Amino acid sequence: MKMTTENDKYKKMMKILRNSKPDLNQPEEIENEVIRKIHFENQKSGRVSDFIESLFGWVYIGWVRRSLIGAAVILVAVFVYQQAFIFKQVKNISKQVVITGNETAPVFSSVLDKRLTLYKISTRLSPGGEINISESQLEELLDSYNNLQVKYKDLIRIIEENPELEKYFENKLNQEKKYKPEI
Amino acid sequence: MIEKELIEECRNGNLHNFRKVVEKTTPMIFSVAFRMLGDEDAARDIVQDTMVTIWQKLSRIKTADSYKTWTYRIAVNKCYDQLRKQKRQKESRYDDKTWAIISNHLSEEGITELENKENAQIINLLTNKLSPKQKAVFILSELEEIPVGEIAKITGMNRSAVKANLYYARKNIESLLQKYL
Repeated sequence: MKMTTENDKYKKMMKILRNSKPDLNQPEEIENEVIRKIHFENQKSGRVSDFIESLFGWVYIGWVRRSLIGAAVILVAVFVYQQAFIFKQVKNISKQVVITGNETAPVFSSVLDKRLTLYKISTRLSPGGEINISESQLEELLDSYNNLQVKYKDLIRIIEENPELEKYFENKLNQEKKYKPEI
Repeated sequence: MIEKELIEECRNGNLHNFRKVVEKTTPMIFSVAFRMLGDEDAARDIVQDTMVTIWQKLSRIKTADSYKTWTYRIAVNKCYDQLRKQKRQKESRYDDKTWAIISNHLSEEGITELENKENAQIINLLTNKLSPKQKAVFILSELEEIPVGEIAKITGMNRSAVKANLYYARKNIESLLQKYL
C-alpha cells in the first residue's frame, strides 16, 4: 500500500513536470544573438580557415585533413628549428679565423682590428685546450708576424724596382732548385 | 520537426536557412537546459552556445536524420560543464517552501502547469542529490520522454548504464517524496 502511494506521488509529480514545459521568452532575441555570434566567429576565423581551406580543401575526409594539417605544422616547425640551428652554426664559424697556406696574413690597420683577430684566435684555440699561451705572448707573436709581413712586402718592392737585383735573385733561386733533391 | 532539406542546405553554408533551424531547435534545447540547470539565463546561454557550435560543426554530421540526437548531445555536454561550475560556486540546500509547493500541487485534483520559477525550484530540489549523468538521464527520459536507445546515443552511455542511472534517479526521487511529504 505504501509503495503504491510513493509510486503515485512520483507519477503525479512527473506528470506535472512533463506538462510544465519551460516558457522561452523572446526567442527572437536568442535567434538574433546566435546569428550575430556566428557572423563574429566567421570574421574571426575567416582568414585562418581560408588559408587552411586553400591548402587542404581537396581532402574531404576529416581525420585525413586533420592529420595532414598536423604533419604540415610539424614539418614547418622542424624546418624553422633546422634553419635556426644552421644559422647559429654559420654565425659561430664566421667568428673563427681560417688561414690557408696560400693566403697572406692580414696586416692590421688599426688597434681594433688587431684586438678582434686576437679574440678570434684565442676563442679558436681555447676549446681544444691543447695550446696554452698568454694573451701578451700571442700579441707579441702577432706583432712580429705583422712586422715580418711588412718587411717582406718592402723587400719584394725593392727587388721589383731594381731589374739587376731581380735577375740576381732569380738566378740564385734557380741554382737552389738545381741542388735540391727531388722527393 | 526539422526538414532534412533545411539541414542539408545549412550544411552547405546557407546562414539564412540556419535562422529557421535556430527557430525550430531553440525550444527543445531550452527545455533540456532549463530543466538541467534550473536557471533561465543560464539555459538561454546554453541555447546560444549550442546553436553556434551546431553551425560550426554542421558539416560533420553524417546524415540529417541524426541532427536531433546530435543537438541534444551538444546541449547536454554544455550543461554538464555548467553544472560542474555551479557545483563549485554554490551548494544547493533543502527548501521548506518548495516542499510546500510540491505538496499543494500533489494534493490538487487535476494536473496543473507550473511557472518557470516554480518548475526550476522543484526540479532542483528533487534532483539535488543526483550526479550530472543521473540528472541528464532522468530529465531526458522522464521529462523529455526520449527513448532509452536515443538517450544512450546522446549521453554516450550504453543502454544498461542508462537504465541503471534512471533506476537510481527514480529511487532517489521517490524516497525524497516519501521522506518529506
